[in-house]
Amino acid sequence: MALSASTTLIALIGQTGLIVALAILMLAWAKALIILRSYLGLAAAPAWGRGFAIVLGAYMILAMALVAMAGAA
Amino acid sequence: MAEPRNAFEDLPGDLMMWILIVSELLVFGAGLVAFLSVRIADPNGFADAQATLHRTGAGVNTMILVTSGWLAAMAAVAANAGSLARTRVLLGGAAALGAVFLIVKGIEYADKAAHGITFETHAFFTFYFLLTGFHAAHVAAGIVLLGLVAVRCHPRTVEVGTAFWHMVDLVWVILFPILYLLG
Repeated sequence: MALSASTTLIALIGQTGLIVALAILMLAWAKALIILRSYLGLAAAPAWGRGFAIVLGAYMILAMALVAMAGAA
Repeated sequence: MAEPRNAFEDLPGDLMMWILIVSELLVFGAGLVAFLSVRIADPNGFADAQATLHRTGAGVNTMILVTSGWLAAMAAVAANAGSLARTRVLLGGAAALGAVFLIVKGIEYADKAAHGITFETHAFFTFYFLLTGFHAAHVAAGIVLLGLVAVRCHPRTVEVGTAFWHMVDLVWVILFPILYLLG
């Protein structure tokens, strides 16, 4: 919940730019990991947890790269 | 000789629910990557379109959905502890917050309609309506599912029902910043 509040706060402060966008995505990444591990129970299945974390990480890095490309366009 | 271990047995909950969860994540993931890819061609147009969205309302909706997810997680704990009444109250709370999420989303759509914003206004809004609409449909389905598992209350069914709800939550925490905040 604190991560969600932080994300919205960053956006509402009105700061823009690549660094802010990447920070917002990092917070989303952290929230997604918490949901996978704690709520969906993958903390109890470490091998599956690692697999989901790796795929999620690759996805978020792709998203960040696309955001950076839009910033450079 | 012992049977070889099946890795799928390690997954918490029901395998079919995990197949559904992964399928949904792939669909939403592909949609968001398509959004970010198209955005590269027109970052200023996308930023202008995004500026018309109500970020505070969406932020409040995020808090509502995250709280709802927490209530659903507490319901699963209560179900495992054998507390039927508490499980039902928590599931009811999670579903009620899901309904509030949909009401806020409806207000958001009505506001867009009042300003003449449709699917065809800009590519941004095509993605916006498709992705948030598809997500809202999942929230509605999740509310029905939470209601069903509240009626047929058993630790196993509650675990499966709340897993779907957490998937809806997971999609939103990725979708919200990308559609509403990146600017």
